[in-house]
Amino acid sequence: MTSTLAIARRELDAYFDSPLGWLALTGFVFITGLFFALMVSDFSMQSTEIAYNPYMADQFNMNDYLLPAFFSNWAVILLFICPAISMRMFAEDVQNKSFELLLSSPISSTEIVLGKFLGGLGFVAMMFASTLHYVVIFYWLGSPDPGVLGASYATMFLLAASFIALGMLASAFTVNQVVAFVLTFGSLLGLWVLSWTETIMNNEWSAFLGALSMLSHLDQLIKGLLHVNDLVYFLSFIFFFLFATQQRIESFRWK
Amino acid sequence: MIHVDQVTKSYGEIRAITDVSFSVGKGEVVGLLGPNGAGKTTTMRILCGCIGATQGRAIIDGQDVVEYPTEVKRRIGYLPENPPLYGSMTAEDYIEFAARIKGVKDVTAAVDRVINRVGLQSMRHRIIDHLSKGYRQRVGIAQALVHDPDVLVLDEPTSGLDPAQRMEIRKLLQELAEGDRTVVLSTHVLSEVESVCERVIIINKGQVVAQDRIENLVSESRRVRLRVARPSDDFVQKMEQIPGVAAVASHPDGAWLLSITDEPDNDVDIREVVAKTAVPFGLLELSPTQNLEAIYLRLTGVST
Repeated sequence: MTSTLAIARRELDAYFDSPLGWLALTGFVFITGLFFALMVSDFSMQSTEIAYNPYMADQFNMNDYLLPAFFSNWAVILLFICPAISMRMFAEDVQNKSFELLLSSPISSTEIVLGKFLGGLGFVAMMFASTLHYVVIFYWLGSPDPGVLGASYATMFLLAASFIALGMLASAFTVNQVVAFVLTFGSLLGLWVLSWTETIMNNEWSAFLGALSMLSHLDQLIKGLLHVNDLVYFLSFIFFFLFATQQRIESFRWK
Repeated sequence: MIHVDQVTKSYGEIRAITDVSFSVGKGEVVGLLGPNGAGKTTTMRILCGCIGATQGRAIIDGQDVVEYPTEVKRRIGYLPENPPLYGSMTAEDYIEFAARIKGVKDVTAAVDRVINRVGLQSMRHRIIDHLSKGYRQRVGIAQALVHDPDVLVLDEPTSGLDPAQRMEIRKLLQELAEGDRTVVLSTHVLSEVESVCERVIIINKGQVVAQDRIENLVSESRRVRLRVARPSDDFVQKMEQIPGVAAVASHPDGAWLLSITDEPDNDVDIREVVAKTAVPFGLLELSPTQNLEAIYLRLTGVST
């Protein structure tokens, strides 16, 4: 446990030792900030117009119309940023030969994988923490439902964790960080758009592929509606890729 | 302490090492010798559990490296050929990290102890990327030592260092080898083996070609190197007549090499007689040759 935390800590520190961490962090805050400014001003303009229609005005609120739309955009931003977070995790270590320190230390490959995963999650947590001023502004402008806000953050965290888990596997298969990035981004994009097959063709195969897609599992969660199948989807996604990464690291030792 | 039992490692079709077997006793200091690509690093990585062997086993103090990886690694310190450093960390942070993942109980004390041990006091707060190669090597050694292992495995600890740094690291190695710590080190610097190790294992093309104590190996081919100012025609003849001299050969650099018949205790005597005989020819130099080098070159298939 102490070694897992030590690895997580070092991993997190490493992001801030290179421009990568700072770039990802500022990039994330900048782009979400852009969306925030545009969507909040758009929402306030719409609500002024809608104020003349008493029935519509009753229905129109930030919990249904602003928050889910705003956080859905995060998913796309994370699709770009998470591969950049995960790409260096193993590729850099193996290329710098520093991986031999981990391999020759009395720690299991599970501890190595979990440590690095936790380090990545720590970085995501810091990214999310740097957006908390949006929450303050939401409360200042209106009365958001804390449940919806909490669910949005939790869903995005779960999504980022899934992206990073897949990215770790890609990083463990190459010493080249660019290759790891492209591999992760490509796979995620593929999984993302799988649900489109449902609109193109309509049979049991497309239903199966649609169920594998990330997008179809995100819609409900982001509205604050917790369905067991969506949670199970993301948790088993994370577990599967962490397990595959662990097996990959194990194969370094015994192949 | 260390038993390597018929270890073979294949990468697909290519065999890196074949049936490598050797044992190292507790407290012994053993040198692994061989040309580049002979399989030294592969052997060491298997010994430390970084990679698995295709066949055979490595056992440290009765425990198989594959079956008890955590227990074994707690007792081994490994310095790979390229020290496994995180360049953006300070030396102290890095050693502290190594201590934590190696399960050291009192981290602060262990870090202080090892920093003093390897002589990094003045550099402890420097970023590793900004250190000279000699200091980086010390950080690497500190990493291998921080959990106070019984067995120390060092892969070419002095490669790429300048002569002064090399001397310092060698001195450090000699200090580390004292006591009952078992040390296995690989190198292709022969003088290093002679000054640090008690025993050598020579590996060539993935196989152990010789393993013995240095003095035993050396006694196999004792030779005297001789240089005279005026080697006239009867010089060779006179030399060959000395009892105990088997053959006289000229060396490309102008010196003469006398092979000595394998009889113990005649080493000292013969040098005295050789000196007396050689003085009229203008004796310039008389020394035992670098025997280990000759053996090494013979065993690894490079002709002298």
